[in-house]
Amino acid sequence: MVALIVGLKWQLLRNGLRRSTPQLVGLIIAVLYGMGVLVAALSGLFALRFSLPSDAARTAITLGGSAVVLGWAILPIIAYGIDETLDTARFATFAVPRRQLVLGLLLSSLVGVPAAVTAILGLATVITWSRSLLSMAVAPVAAVVAVFTCVALSRVTSAASFAMSRRRRGKEALLLMMLLLSLGFGAATSSVMKQISSPGLLQHLADVLGWTPLGLAWAVPADFADGAIGAGLLRLALALVFLVAALLAWDILLRGALENPRATDSGGSANGNKGLGWFGRLPATPTGAVAARSIISWRRDPRYVASVVLMLLLPLGLLLPAFTGSGNVWTLAMAPAAGFMLGWSTHNDIAYDGTAFWGHVATGVSGRADRVGRLVPTALTAAVLLPIYAAISCALTDRWSAWPALFGMGLGFLLTGFGVASVMSVLKPYPVPGPGENPFGAPPGSSALTMVIQAVAGTAVFVVNLPLLGVGMGALLGQVWMGWLCLGMAVVFGSGTLALGTRWGARIYERRSPELLADLSRIR
Amino acid sequence: MQTRGSSAALSLRGLSKAYGPTLAVDRLDLDVPRGSFFGLVGPNGAGKTTTLSMATGLLRPDAGTAHVLGHDVWSDTVRAKQLVGVLPDGLRLFDRLTGLQLICYSGLLRGMDRTVVTDRAHELLEALGLAEAIGTLVVDYSAGMTKKISLACALIHAPRLLVLDEPFEAVDPISATTIRQILEGYAASGGTVILSSHVMDLVQRLCDRVAIVAAGQIRAEGTLDEVRSGMTLEERFVDLVGGQTDVGEGLAWLRSSSD
Repeated sequence: MVALIVGLKWQLLRNGLRRSTPQLVGLIIAVLYGMGVLVAALSGLFALRFSLPSDAARTAITLGGSAVVLGWAILPIIAYGIDETLDTARFATFAVPRRQLVLGLLLSSLVGVPAAVTAILGLATVITWSRSLLSMAVAPVAAVVAVFTCVALSRVTSAASFAMSRRRRGKEALLLMMLLLSLGFGAATSSVMKQISSPGLLQHLADVLGWTPLGLAWAVPADFADGAIGAGLLRLALALVFLVAALLAWDILLRGALENPRATDSGGSANGNKGLGWFGRLPATPTGAVAARSIISWRRDPRYVASVVLMLLLPLGLLLPAFTGSGNVWTLAMAPAAGFMLGWSTHNDIAYDGTAFWGHVATGVSGRADRVGRLVPTALTAAVLLPIYAAISCALTDRWSAWPALFGMGLGFLLTGFGVASVMSVLKPYPVPGPGENPFGAPPGSSALTMVIQAVAGTAVFVVNLPLLGVGMGALLGQVWMGWLCLGMAVVFGSGTLALGTRWGARIYERRSPELLADLSRIR
Repeated sequence: MQTRGSSAALSLRGLSKAYGPTLAVDRLDLDVPRGSFFGLVGPNGAGKTTTLSMATGLLRPDAGTAHVLGHDVWSDTVRAKQLVGVLPDGLRLFDRLTGLQLICYSGLLRGMDRTVVTDRAHELLEALGLAEAIGTLVVDYSAGMTKKISLACALIHAPRLLVLDEPFEAVDPISATTIRQILEGYAASGGTVILSSHVMDLVQRLCDRVAIVAAGQIRAEGTLDEVRSGMTLEERFVDLVGGQTDVGEGLAWLRSSSD
């Protein structure tokens, strides 16, 4: 049974690649990237073997190892279902004994690029610890425990987040966690960067982490190398206890998923809103209808809610340096950054429809209505945010004369982003998680294609706005009149790009809407 | 040529579609006369969905033409789409909308007036027995309710031709009866219905004309009695399509008495 499940994962991975070339390209890029990381890390581990005090090896491996474990544990929260090819709920109908299922799924998690890299790195610590026979003997054992801890933790988090995301309250809590994590990450890196110069700190940090579940297993061989056998054995025992505890927690979560596989919340009913909602408020035209539908999706579809909240908070992250006292130049970038992100974010909008897009194809709605209507929720959000963000920047830097330039750059980015996105999103939709049903649906290997398209869209928006940025910079450097010029340019140039983009996008839409639908059914 | 095009509600000529090396639909010709209740039957993978998608403008054919009441689906697209109501199989809906909102969305996308759309939507919801689920999100609907709401979306603009792909799949008997009554009323008042199904019994009871599709081609077409030629539709179907093997003494272990 266990071998069967592992075989199933391998088969799924292989068959997934046979579906399309981009996916194969994606995997090759992932493998190359993994190899790069691997080679760099391996040479590091090798160098540590010959570092003079064994303290350096202990510090580096405990810190690095803890980071790896932490990464495995939180990645499923940030990136939905990094490894959910085998969705537990799908096993509900088969009478697989749960212990075997746990073991099978655990081992199947080891099939894949990230797991392979982690395993190789873990085992390579044997090289580092070949200082003494004892530490060399214990290193592979500790590494195996550590790697399994990684995999088990990631299964626990993804199972827990899956269980939570099935309830509306849980979804909100999950979102909040994601935000705090991303904000906390920014704050942590900036403070670590500042204190990296003090030498004792890292060593101290490693000592602490070495006694937490994150670093327990990684610190074991170091104890043996230093001759502290007792401490090493204690650490190893604690690491094992923690691994077992993680497996038990996962087992409990699995029980919930297996016994109640399709329980979704019905808390989504439109409470109190018995009428048409936004369909009654916006003009009764095809464009108005598309806009109303988009707004409703923005409010009710967790995928939109998540990306919107992230988009709003990322520019707010630029406030952090101002509060940690490392200057407030960056706060000036808030409005332009928000404009950029909001405009650019619409470049894959059609993919979120999935095959529901057939409704647009079957009704023969005009390309213009489809293109323009979809931009409305983003445009409304930006209309509120951009002036406020620009004002916050001005208040913090006490430079109100900068407002026209800041708002102008944001507006320019927004409108040209709309223009570019209107064309991009009818050219090549890329996979996104399906609506509600199975949020872990992104096929493996799709991320590279995704990144290429995102980068192309982002670069296009940026390049188009270079003149505007130049004028805006001039304004920030003291030429106040250039700020107004910047704002004027943004209005003229931005709405021009917008008109051009939506028109071009509408033409493409009308020519190839059936092909788009075919694309969407394929990437589903 | 012109007379043929306008006398048929749906007219397909030489329709072909290949997925890689697999030919899903192979130079298919079909005429659905006006006012008929037409059943398209065939085994899984026969090309029913592909054919209906190409006939409604959802999938571009590799070759061939499709005309709806004389309008070419692939050149006179807008006019053709105004005349057709579609219920596709296996495609999502905008399921974060409420039932009422989803129907209204289909109407508004077609540029219809808001009061007309709302009035009709309420009538449709009432007729389909969905009045209580009017404010429930479609994502929380059961399979039967989802089929019914899709049918409502296909009917909102009073189309002349209804193209329904597996309208009775996963539908409970009560909902099926409701759907059937609505379709029969629609056909009786002069509308044309073409539906695909692999429930022979239902097609036999409902349709006056039938076509049997296999491997992307029409194997038999005509009135129900012509196609049946004395047998039941199911026997004729198995007869034509083949593939039935005599189970005989195989699978002996499955019989508990052999234990």
